[in-house]
Amino acid sequence: MTYSLAHLMGGILLLSTFLLLSQRRLAAMITLYQLQALTLAAAAFWQGYAQSEINLYLTGIITLALKGLLLPLALREIVHRFNLRRAVETAMPMALAMLLGVGLIGIAVLVVLPSTMSAVSLTREDLAIALSVVLLGLLVMTTRRNALAQIIGFLSTENGLVLAAIGMPGMPFVAEFSVALLVLLAFLVTGIFLLRIREHFDTLDVTGIEDIERRGR
Amino acid sequence: MIYAPILLPFLAAIVLGLTGTPRQGVIANAALSGLVFLLTLAVFTAPGSGLIHADALGLLFGTLTGFIAFTTALANINYVRGAEPRLTPQLWRLYHALCQIILGATLLGLYADNIGLLWAAVEIATIAATLAVSLPRTPSALEAAWKYFILGGVGIALALFGTMLVYLAAQPALGPGLNAMSFTALSTHAPWMDGSLLTLAFVFILFGYGTKAALVPLHGWLPDAYAEGPAPLTTALSGPMLNLALIAILRFRHLLQANHASGGAAMAPGPFLLVLGLASLFLVGFSLSRRRDARRFFGFSSIEHSGIAIFAFGIGGPAAIFGGLLHMLLQTLIKSGLFIALIRAAALRGSTAPGNYSFAHLRGLIHSNKYTAWALGGAIFALTGLPPSGLFASEFIIISQTVQRNPWVSAPLALGLLLCAVAILRNLGPLIFGHAPPHTKPVKAAPEMHLVTLHLALAVILAFAMPAPVLNLLSSVAGALQ
Repeated sequence: MTYSLAHLMGGILLLSTFLLLSQRRLAAMITLYQLQALTLAAAAFWQGYAQSEINLYLTGIITLALKGLLLPLALREIVHRFNLRRAVETAMPMALAMLLGVGLIGIAVLVVLPSTMSAVSLTREDLAIALSVVLLGLLVMTTRRNALAQIIGFLSTENGLVLAAIGMPGMPFVAEFSVALLVLLAFLVTGIFLLRIREHFDTLDVTGIEDIERRGR
Repeated sequence: MIYAPILLPFLAAIVLGLTGTPRQGVIANAALSGLVFLLTLAVFTAPGSGLIHADALGLLFGTLTGFIAFTTALANINYVRGAEPRLTPQLWRLYHALCQIILGATLLGLYADNIGLLWAAVEIATIAATLAVSLPRTPSALEAAWKYFILGGVGIALALFGTMLVYLAAQPALGPGLNAMSFTALSTHAPWMDGSLLTLAFVFILFGYGTKAALVPLHGWLPDAYAEGPAPLTTALSGPMLNLALIAILRFRHLLQANHASGGAAMAPGPFLLVLGLASLFLVGFSLSRRRDARRFFGFSSIEHSGIAIFAFGIGGPAAIFGGLLHMLLQTLIKSGLFIALIRAAALRGSTAPGNYSFAHLRGLIHSNKYTAWALGGAIFALTGLPPSGLFASEFIIISQTVQRNPWVSAPLALGLLLCAVAILRNLGPLIFGHAPPHTKPVKAAPEMHLVTLHLALAVILAFAMPAPVLNLLSSVAGALQ
């Protein structure tokens, strides 16, 4: 029971990260992220129950309230305010990104499973799923040109980290880690950068970043 | 006692961030940094226990951090006087608060005896540094900050994953709980940790903290951050932050090495570090000569020195680790002195704003002011590692250890060092003695040039006549972390 439910949630999380790769519309990406965060909250509650650890319930509540509800609202607000409803440009063909994603999941499984023979098997498989989510999130960041899409990639990387943390037996500071990560996310999303970048460039495209390098030479 | 130098900057940051004019802020910042420097000295008498517990390495680099923060804050007084109109009073408050937050976070990371706390410290320092880079509010500063945030954020995420894997790897030896996150406990129990998991963890740690230490290929943020941020905060104060990341890598490397040496399943950490070190050295060697902006140029030189330190850690053994740590100490002193001088040089030519640091704009400095020119020239020469620079001593130790322990990599190391030295020397002559731009008039030197002289003198003394207590401390650290 413990295994199958934890794996089910890990599976949903992985699947929604994978779908992020193929999704071209920002609104849909945000919905997928919300699904991810809600699943993660459920997983945290479940692990809290299985390990009877009050800290994990706390992590679950934080995840549910801030990442499941507040962050998606803020992201939708940004999409709405800046009128970013059109499809997002990708830096590489969708099929190639999906293939790379499959490759990354393969790598994660091949790397984690043999090197964790001594750990509890629940932790092992959770860790493989978490690493896949982390790598897929990084891939989303590299395949998108749009700052908001990159942030959503980063957010799902961070979900993978929290998934790994809640699966660790008796790990201290899990709630603190998720708060610390949230601070990082808050800085990203509350829009200091987005608003400023918007002000100065009138677009959320960050390809202009090479410009300063040319100027420096 | 140990909590004082960490808490004081954080508390001060709140006050500095909320009230005060730029003039008041700059004085308060200097006074506070001086106080923190004294406190880092006082920590030697009471290194604490438990979560925050400074070992010899933390004490040594903590004092260095306090010293650099103090001299930077002193030089900052003149900088702010000249640059005041460029930012609003609110942004100057944020600027001074960020100075203190970066100082506090770096000290927290150095003194922490807990891998989770270390990670949190690096995270705080990264967020603060990113905000600092964005302060000028120019499009290029915002782009540089954005790049820093994305790369730094990814690095932090990878480092956290590595930290969790280290905890998992420690389970067979230490069981669940706080003990499995303490460096002291981890390093005594390293032989019984899960070796293969530890290797996997180290890869994530290396790429995570390696991003903060600006190792190639994770260095992309550093030259832009150096060139676009407000000069004293993003350049002089960033040396201690690079050290924090390098020290984190050194500590985790020790776990891997101890497990490997006692027959555990962990891989030897050497090859990973040697490859990253050499890659940094060569990339810098080839790209230095193409830089026209001095701050970007010396940013690349910081990447070089991170690479040398990582290379030394990769060679391993007490002597090479000693050499690597000495190199970090000296380069931080020289580099922050150099940036103080560079800011003054730009001020002599009119403005300290980003964009006024190109070599063409600064050339022929001797025609503006002799003292500034000689001090800046001395600092730049010291970076090449030729005698009488202090870096000659540390590079000599590293090279001789390389020849002894791993002769195959000594040739690429020497070639890389040579490439970088030549690139630096080529710029030195025109910058100091070249023809000045027309209408250049001699100007008086600023008082903070004495600080640069102090930095350079300290670097020479530490290298060639190291006081016995420092020598003992550094040797014991190198022996324990070999």
